[in-house]
Amino acid sequence: MADTNMMRRLKRRKMLRQAANLVLLYGGMTALAVILIIPFLWTLSTSLKHPAEVFAFPPRFIPQQIHWRNYADAWMRVPFGRYFINSIIVSCSVTLGQVFTSALAAFAFARLDFPGRNKLFLGYLGTMMIPGQVTMIPVFIVCKQLNLIDTYAALILPGLFSAYGTFMLRQFFLTIPKDLEEAAIIDGLNYWQIFTHVIVPLSKPALFTLGTFVFLGAWNDFMWPLIVTNADSMKTLPVGLAAFQGQYSTDWTLLMAGSVIVLTPVLLLYIVNQRFITKGFVMSGLKG
Amino acid sequence: MADAPTSGQSVSPDPVSPSPASEAVRARKNILWRKTNVGYLFLLPNISGFMLFTLIPVVVSLGLSLFSWDILQPARFVGLQNFVELFKDRDFWRYLWNTVYLMAGIPINMLIALLVAMLINRKLPGIIAYRTIYFTPVISPMVAVAMLWRLILNGDTGLLNATIRMVQSSVKGFLTGIAGWFQGSFVSDALVGLANIAATRPPNWLGDPAWSKPALILTGMWGFGYSMLLYLAALQSIPDDLYEAARIDGASAWTQFWKITWPMLSFVNFFIIIMSVIGGFQAFGIQYVMTQGGPAGSTTTIVYYIYRNAFEWFKMGYASAIAWVLFGIIFALTIIQWNMRKRMGEYF
Amino acid sequence: MAQVLLKNVCKRYGEVTAVRDVSLAIEDRQFCVLVGPSGCGKTTTLRMIAGLEDITEGEIWVGERVVNYVHPKDRDIAMVFQNYALYPHMTVEENMGFGLRVRRFPKDEIKQRTDEAAGVLDIMQYLDRTPRELSGGQKQRVAVGRAIVRKPKVFLFDEPLSNLDAKLRVQMRAQLKKLHERLQTTIVYVTHDQVEAMTLGDIIVVMKDGVIQQVGEPLTVYDNPCNRFVAGFIGTPPMNFIEVTVRRSGGAVVLDEGGFSVTLPPVLAAKAAAYDGKPATLGIRPEHIHDKATYTGAANAGNTVEAGVDVVELLGNEKHLHLAAGSSMFVAVVDAHIAAHAGRKLPVVFDMDKVHLFDKETENAVF
Repeated sequence: MADTNMMRRLKRRKMLRQAANLVLLYGGMTALAVILIIPFLWTLSTSLKHPAEVFAFPPRFIPQQIHWRNYADAWMRVPFGRYFINSIIVSCSVTLGQVFTSALAAFAFARLDFPGRNKLFLGYLGTMMIPGQVTMIPVFIVCKQLNLIDTYAALILPGLFSAYGTFMLRQFFLTIPKDLEEAAIIDGLNYWQIFTHVIVPLSKPALFTLGTFVFLGAWNDFMWPLIVTNADSMKTLPVGLAAFQGQYSTDWTLLMAGSVIVLTPVLLLYIVNQRFITKGFVMSGLKG
Repeated sequence: MADAPTSGQSVSPDPVSPSPASEAVRARKNILWRKTNVGYLFLLPNISGFMLFTLIPVVVSLGLSLFSWDILQPARFVGLQNFVELFKDRDFWRYLWNTVYLMAGIPINMLIALLVAMLINRKLPGIIAYRTIYFTPVISPMVAVAMLWRLILNGDTGLLNATIRMVQSSVKGFLTGIAGWFQGSFVSDALVGLANIAATRPPNWLGDPAWSKPALILTGMWGFGYSMLLYLAALQSIPDDLYEAARIDGASAWTQFWKITWPMLSFVNFFIIIMSVIGGFQAFGIQYVMTQGGPAGSTTTIVYYIYRNAFEWFKMGYASAIAWVLFGIIFALTIIQWNMRKRMGEYF
Repeated sequence: MAQVLLKNVCKRYGEVTAVRDVSLAIEDRQFCVLVGPSGCGKTTTLRMIAGLEDITEGEIWVGERVVNYVHPKDRDIAMVFQNYALYPHMTVEENMGFGLRVRRFPKDEIKQRTDEAAGVLDIMQYLDRTPRELSGGQKQRVAVGRAIVRKPKVFLFDEPLSNLDAKLRVQMRAQLKKLHERLQTTIVYVTHDQVEAMTLGDIIVVMKDGVIQQVGEPLTVYDNPCNRFVAGFIGTPPMNFIEVTVRRSGGAVVLDEGGFSVTLPPVLAAKAAAYDGKPATLGIRPEHIHDKATYTGAANAGNTVEAGVDVVELLGNEKHLHLAAGSSMFVAVVDAHIAAHAGRKLPVVFDMDKVHLFDKETENAVF
């Protein structure tokens, strides 16, 4: 009798303690999340303000008047619209191209037997160690000599091949059970058909993850487009935005509108695929 | 069973149908050809890219570093002169120092990342939403990040300084108010003094050479999400029963951390350090957009220096030489990383 | 004319020899089972017939021609894999018809063959499902169906029942046997399970370490194993092996274990005479060891052994008695109602007509 009362009291105390811990935990995590989101919110808020409000003190998150015009201005005037289109063209082309060439090469390395295969693959792995800064100067020179500066070719072609993508897909292809391909061989498929009918359908998640990564990388790429474009009409969004900053360094509302334009596709892509993306980042890290 | 010709024997060829011997030989050639060349065919697009954009440029770049060339005039062979000049170049060493200084943010980031990872390493509803939010800065385009932080770090009324000043004024008001109760005594003087200190002007982050690098480090802290994910993955791979056994043995949370968690994280720690250092040596974009390497060259990094030499001053040979020195540093670090990974492979 | 002929076939991987000088003739319409423990080379041999492995040495004939360098798709064979190997994103119908589609068979012929095979295997109702929605047994039947529609000269099976649970395995075994009778095509079947070999094969090929140990009809191999390995591999529970010394005693030949001895009947004694004084291995199957009390045949000192019962396993229809005599242990299979208790003594009778003797060094059977 006394025992059950004590038990009940102890249990209640424990539950209270656990509830308190939970409140603290969620409170802390939420506070951190809010702090992290503030810069994004500030970007959005600034993009909708009147220029005079940008540095008002004390700072306000909600603009007095919402200036949608800023976006129209950014799109037309700057012209972020042009940059946006360039980024789309370049990012999509690079994504499709890189995934395709990497898949082909990964299939060759994983399943086809040819002389020098392993040595060549080690060579590929080796190039992953070379920082881009070493190769960018000669590639730039070549582009310049071939008059490819300020062309889509210069923006897209170097990005069509990736040792990393090849490596990742090869590791994945190796996990596909071999007897499926053998059944296909006996059924009479040639290697191209095996690639398209067996390997590709089974690799959809891996291809998709790689594609997302490549797209993100191409969309966010700054240094190479910077080097290879001078004309305003050919700049991609990141470069265009940076250049714009040089020109209109105090026009913060337009700059922030531009930032929102750059950020939005990325954030959308991320929210939709976040599990793929975070998993991919981790795998690329730990297994690299 | 009947004698059948083996593929080695010669049989007079039947003009109508090929003899089994030659058919076998042809079949053999066919299969061997196919096996060797199909692989190369699949490899072709990728390998041409590899040749064109990696292999050949690497070799050319090495060669370039031995020349002095500004594109307009023919190249002049200077041997190792570029490297000697580099060694004597004071700017180079300064920028190298900048680059290394900026890496001071790495341990800070790792600490934050680890703490947050441990915080969210539980199966609670909505945890994934938090993880998603924490990782968002990592995938944001660098340009947008750079610009918005430039806005926030604006010296006068950027969001950060404005917030600091608001906090300062309330603290000052509070301290001054308390000082009022102890009017006349030394406590009052002390409190007023403290209040004045609290009201010192926050720095002009990006405009002051002394504060520009710390400002960049602060910006970098926002992106702890990548390391956090790696820590999360590592934490989740530690089997629960280790902790349970420790709890039964009576170990405190602190002990559990040091004896179980920390050793199991050694691989991830090492990996993050190496990757961050390699990445740190390649820092460029943020500095270009946020500070243009300034003020007074205080945020110019090695890669920025390469960029300026190559694409602003057109000193191709010199730029290539710097690039190769950078490569050497990174290469050495990567070798260390690969070796560690091989050794640590036992655990994974 | 043999349907499948292997002539001195060898397979080497660098230093390792997986298949050593295998020669085998499989007749038309025969169900040939390659059986042996893991690593004995049976699967490698099968894959060489299929064309999935290169042949290091020797020749393989399918039908009237050498197929060493012929592409698998042109060898007129079809294969059923252990893990079914069904195309996951295609329906059952598409899976079965895929090989024909690639060879550009007319659509209605494909449909006709597919329906026919589906009918034979009783999978008509699964035709528009994907492999993900099927159970293991159903998937296996689809895999077989895919092979049937090709109407090949030879069917190759690579351990097809290994992934099924025990009960399903028994069902599928019966189905495969019926299928063979219906199709009347040559089958080469690989398994590590000697029960499958015995129940399914017209001839069985026992392999070990890349070498064929014995080829023959199941019952022949069972009754007359040519060496100790085959004797111990085929049959469940496995044959008992007892180390003995051969002795001539008076006019008879006796196998002396040390703790007990048994006498050979005259026919067998003649064959064992050459081993007088030498050590050898006595082999006797568990079902040939009887409880003396209920034995209907002649029991005398020459075939009776006083054994101690170690463990009694009741299986319902029979009992497995683990016995010890001298310094040897052996198993007897007796009727379930025989009285036997662990720890007690039990006199047993060895049926000496059914006994085997193995040379101790070569491990070959003397008889």
